Amino acid sequence: MSNPTLAAPEGATGHESGSPAGNTPAGGRPGRNVQHATPRRKRKYERNRPLWMLLPGGILMLVIIVVPLIVAAIMSTLDLDQYTLQSWLQAPFIGLQNYVEAIVSSSLLRSIGISVSFALIAAVVTMPIGLAAVLATQNKFRGRALVRSLFLIPYVLPAFVVGTLWRTMLQPGGVVDSTLGAMGIHTGLFLNGPLSYWSLIVVQIWTSWPFFYLLVLAGLQSVDHEVHEAAAIDGATWWIKLRSVILPYLRGPILLALIIAFLHNINAFTLPFVLFGVPAPQDVDVLPVLTYVTSFQSFRFGLSAAMAICSLVLIAIPLFIYLRAVKLDSGEEEQR
Amino acid sequence: MTAVKPSSADITRLLPRPLLVAVIVVLLVIVLGPVLYMLFASINSDVAVAGGAFFPTELHLDNYLKVWTTVDLGTGLMNSVIVCVAVAIVCAFLAVATAYVLVRYDFRGRLSFLRGLLGLQSIPGTLMLLPVFVLFSSTASLLGVQIIGTRWAVFITYLTFALPFSTWVMVTYLRGLPKALEEAARIDGASSWRILTRIVVPLSWPGIVVSGIFAFLLGWNDVLFASVLTNPETRTAAVALQVFGATQEGGAIPLYGQMMAASLICAVPVVALYLVFQRYLVGGLTSGGVK
Amino acid sequence: MRSRIALGAVAGLAVIGLALSGCSSSGSTGSSTSGKVDGKGKTLDVMIAANSLYPTEQQQWFKDVSAQFQKETGATVKFETFASANDELTKIQTSVLSGQGPDIYDLGTTFTPTAYSTGAFVKLTDDDWKKVGGRDRFVPATLGISGPDEKNEVGIPFLSRPFVMAYNKDLLKAAGIDKPADTWDGLADQAKKLTSGDVHGMAVAYADSFDPWKFVWAMAMQQGNTILDLKSKKATIDDDAVKKAYETYFGWLTDDKVVDPAAIGWKNANAVAAFADGKAAFLPMVSSSSQVSLDKSSVAGKYGYAVMPTIPPGETKLPSDGKAAATIISGDNMVVAKYSKNQDLAFALVKMLTSTDNQVKYTKTFGDLPTNADAAKQIESGNELIAPILDAGTKAYGTPFSGAWGDTQLALVNVVVQSIPSLSNGSVSSSDLEAKLKTAQDTAQSSLNKAK
Repeated sequence: MSNPTLAAPEGATGHESGSPAGNTPAGGRPGRNVQHATPRRKRKYERNRPLWMLLPGGILMLVIIVVPLIVAAIMSTLDLDQYTLQSWLQAPFIGLQNYVEAIVSSSLLRSIGISVSFALIAAVVTMPIGLAAVLATQNKFRGRALVRSLFLIPYVLPAFVVGTLWRTMLQPGGVVDSTLGAMGIHTGLFLNGPLSYWSLIVVQIWTSWPFFYLLVLAGLQSVDHEVHEAAAIDGATWWIKLRSVILPYLRGPILLALIIAFLHNINAFTLPFVLFGVPAPQDVDVLPVLTYVTSFQSFRFGLSAAMAICSLVLIAIPLFIYLRAVKLDSGEEEQR
Repeated sequence: MTAVKPSSADITRLLPRPLLVAVIVVLLVIVLGPVLYMLFASINSDVAVAGGAFFPTELHLDNYLKVWTTVDLGTGLMNSVIVCVAVAIVCAFLAVATAYVLVRYDFRGRLSFLRGLLGLQSIPGTLMLLPVFVLFSSTASLLGVQIIGTRWAVFITYLTFALPFSTWVMVTYLRGLPKALEEAARIDGASSWRILTRIVVPLSWPGIVVSGIFAFLLGWNDVLFASVLTNPETRTAAVALQVFGATQEGGAIPLYGQMMAASLICAVPVVALYLVFQRYLVGGLTSGGVK
Repeated sequence: MRSRIALGAVAGLAVIGLALSGCSSSGSTGSSTSGKVDGKGKTLDVMIAANSLYPTEQQQWFKDVSAQFQKETGATVKFETFASANDELTKIQTSVLSGQGPDIYDLGTTFTPTAYSTGAFVKLTDDDWKKVGGRDRFVPATLGISGPDEKNEVGIPFLSRPFVMAYNKDLLKAAGIDKPADTWDGLADQAKKLTSGDVHGMAVAYADSFDPWKFVWAMAMQQGNTILDLKSKKATIDDDAVKKAYETYFGWLTDDKVVDPAAIGWKNANAVAAFADGKAAFLPMVSSSSQVSLDKSSVAGKYGYAVMPTIPPGETKLPSDGKAAATIISGDNMVVAKYSKNQDLAFALVKMLTSTDNQVKYTKTFGDLPTNADAAKQIESGNELIAPILDAGTKAYGTPFSGAWGDTQLALVNVVVQSIPSLSNGSVSSSDLEAKLKTAQDTAQSSLNKAK
């Protein structure tokens, strides 16, 4: 065992740094490392923890996300509207009244229902598509780079372009309607009425499946060649190999992608806004559009903040429960 | 060993050939169909597009020239590229560093940090707009540092918003990396920084590229924050594009042709960047040094 | 070795930092002056709508205005554009919140009440009006939406864009119709005569986010209902007059069948496209900005403008309490922000922009009508096409001046949006409509209650 001659100052010293509870990054004390004659190797290198590496990211997120979040929470307790915006700190304090109004007399609950179900369906349906694309482009073939880049296009197009594009295509008498009509299928309105919900889902799937593709792609690269060889030696068919050998490797990225896609879809504002306009038809009155309208068209900023925070809470709780169950954040290696 | 040695490609192929081809073809059709419509619309007349035509009835190739003057697309693209590339690089690096600590080391509050990262992603943008604006303008009045209107404003905002997700991507990716290489390096006496930069980073290029791309796209597509945080010189392409889509009251048809042309132009840098970085996505782990 | 990486990182960050610092922010500088307006070395920041119809001309106009202003006062003008009304409103809110932003906003007239309600814009005193050239240089009708009353005005009229109806001269001639009717019933009858084959009498954009409420407002006003009664602080939406307005508006599609069934999904652009294709005889609710699209289409030279009907549905002449509202007061007002450090300079700029010469030049370039009375007289002569638009401008009425109008407007449009599924099935039932009107009434009333 060699003596670690450390060339540079390390992060926290050997003992536990008393970090405050909560999710602020454990403050690593940058300082000179204490040299030990014989390093005792602990289970997870409690010594030599470069916790200072957490600082830049942590500070940024603290200042730019958490602080405004607190400001938003304060705003949600104020009667903040266009009349009181100018000196917002002096707006009248009304406690939880905004929350009551949000839950009881606004369409918040219905919007949450629409948003959550839409987000779930879109995320779940996108997965097999993205997965299939990854699996299909695993091996080199002529033009693979081009195909991969083309796949990316729906995701790369700005959301409002996608919205305008599909709105133009789905309008009554538009391309989709005429083509279906020529084949004898009359579906009714795509952009209003009950079908609009499904139109939103279809468009969202169209634009976000490359996201899945990208995320899982990275994961697939970490599969050793030897794994493939072993499966070939065992004579596994493609389906069995896929299911029992490859997919377990991809479990992490897939789960992550599902959750991220779900969260992203819930908060997706631009697409429904451009696709359906404002006021939104009842079937697609999703949460972000509701909060935006309340904030920037009705100018009820306090109410809008309360709505958004309500939805945050209502979504975060089941999310964390799910995460616990799935052990996504435990960090324990399940695979190897 | 079998008599005929299967090629490496055959071994790693995950789907049978016919299925593979079918999947690719179907996906290409789904993707390219609407894109083709966009292409046709960009050279069609606006009135025809509004009327629902698919194939161009007239040829307006000058749309591709007009877009540069209608909205100063050049400045917008330049700003977008500068900000988004910077965000992608810094974000990817910060994400690797943060994820490395989170995955390889234990400390009090680690789980909360991880959960917090995930939770931060469920925050809607519309909630943050006014408070972030308040934050930046207070900095201006209290510290005298003008942020709003400069590229720093959108840079900081996009960087921070992209961090939670990018970090999670790296966390997931790093968990799949075998620790053996790092352990060997530590035995050899390397510092954490050295391990990070010399071993972890080169091995996790696929994850880094993916985080970078997402961070890039977050900034590239954002409209809400860019429209209030920038001024005409620092305007991003996304905001510039808005002019085309704006519905005019009173009978002016939106400039569909130019809008589609401008959108395709804006898509090009990203697709190009992706083409360049593609090779980093492929590669996987090289054995040796461990086994 | 490690130092090399560190050096590389620092260098990289430095490059990034430099690239980002590119331009520092804008914003008016300097302290306010007193007495004669001297703006040497100062810059005024003006927020104005991006003109996508004449982009290069607008860029040129920006340069010309700045040059002219510099000659006059020594200060330059920097223009900032926004894409849509929503964008501008958001910008106003963030600027009001932070106390920094553009000095002057060029605002759509219907949003002046919203800006007023923030209390962040300068109320023009008599002195201020003198600084912008005097209140009496403006066409009286254009001042109607500058403030809740004469003593509390924030908006200085800059442009006028009244709404009128376009009609296809050839189609009308072929059907033996002389000119469009001045009653809504008469118009519907004419439209019926003009509907045959794939040509419809009217092109109406039911799915537009802006058009529908203007129809309802006009018809209600003509029956004496102002939608919001500010004196008694009551919304009057669940009223027979408003119901009749909606029934007429929907009836064009369901009963009279003078509108293309696909119009349920039309935005304003689609309606214009149908008219431009020769597939509709009447195109109501357009402004002079439609000229650009129509002149490029197959109906160029074959269309004309007419004032929209001012006699309400079900009547043959205007009721005694009705108002002959041909159009809303539409156009742009300019407002000066209270946080601006260059208010006198701002007034000087507005004075320059609303002077006769500048206004005439603007109209000739962009087509929007002037608010300066002299300028209006000048451009009237010899221009037959826009004469009806000018005429409509004199018959314009303002929407209620209240911070609650934004919500009310949204509620009125919402009635249409939520009725579209029923419309596509053939009709909207009376009880259904009443229920929706009640919802709109409640929304508007609660907004009005909060109005200060």
